[in-house]
Amino acid sequence: MDTSTASPHRTLVAIPAYNEAATIRNVVERVRLNLPDCDLVVVNDGSTDATADVLAESGATVVAHLCNLGYGRAIQTAVLYAERAGYDRLVTLDADGQHDPAQVRPLLAEFDSGRWDLLIGSRYVVSRSYAGVPLGRRVGMQVFSSLVGVMTGRRVYDTTSGLKIIGRQTFAALRNWQFIDFHAEALVYVMRLGFRVGESPITVEERRHGTTMYSALSHIKYPLKTALMVVLGVVEASLTRRRTQ
Amino acid sequence: MTAAGIVAGLVIGLGLLLWVTALIRQDRLYAGYGVIFIVGTLAAMSVLAIPPLLQFATEASVALMPVSSLSLVAIVLLTFLVVYVFIQISVLSNRVMKLTQELAIRGAERDRANGKPAGSVR
Repeated sequence: MDTSTASPHRTLVAIPAYNEAATIRNVVERVRLNLPDCDLVVVNDGSTDATADVLAESGATVVAHLCNLGYGRAIQTAVLYAERAGYDRLVTLDADGQHDPAQVRPLLAEFDSGRWDLLIGSRYVVSRSYAGVPLGRRVGMQVFSSLVGVMTGRRVYDTTSGLKIIGRQTFAALRNWQFIDFHAEALVYVMRLGFRVGESPITVEERRHGTTMYSALSHIKYPLKTALMVVLGVVEASLTRRRTQ
Repeated sequence: MTAAGIVAGLVIGLGLLLWVTALIRQDRLYAGYGVIFIVGTLAAMSVLAIPPLLQFATEASVALMPVSSLSLVAIVLLTFLVVYVFIQISVLSNRVMKLTQELAIRGAERDRANGKPAGSVR
């Protein structure tokens, strides 16, 4: 049932899921409990475990990829779905249960202030340090945070957060450009297009099930690919702005 | 290697870099493949441009005789051929990706319209 019509803004909560059978039911239930005025869609990104069966039992709306396309494309599918269905804003949440859906409410209030086109639920915006983060990841976070700062003139402290609120005005830009994981490369692209990207503090829980989506090899490929796409995103955004002026 | 040979190698490398980055920007080459070409080309250009590195690479590869320029042409040709193959793979991959996204969205829209239980599209 579409319950979002009671709100002045139609909001879609999208959860990209790949092999998250252990956690997805709990995440869906917590979203329903905490955000009853929002619609929910789960993008099942070609899961090979029991995720599809668990989702069928949960009754959630499922956008099911026939094969695994990756996190960035799963988010892009959610953007496409939200745009076609006429939603005003899209909330993305991780399927591993790290994000507490109760924290979305204050983020939505901040988003409604009208200051942002894209708002990130940020783990580091208050402390502005990555203390307690494993060394390799910490270096990556610092490098990409600085890279975003250099490329846009505005530093983003949590470039890899999966909790974001995306306004309708950015949908077209996000579906027309290719992204790796919807992290620094996506942020730089939309910021260079002139959209306002902000951060609002959140806390996350430790992942209790499943594994990270990054393999050992991807720790080498990911920064190279992302850095390349950041640079190309700047070029593409400049060309896009020139075309539209 | 002669100065002219080094300049020619650098120009070819630069051309390859520009071509590959343009292809990625146009979404005709997957960024993951592009990174491999870019890193490889930059490494090759560095070896060419820095004489001690070229000397080291030559000794490390136990090169006993000078390489004919014809074999360099073959290497360049092969590289461009490999890029072309990866373009075709990327184009096909993009089509599959768009089809997958479209099928997924239409499936969800159909399920919602029909009031069917979710997750019926796998």
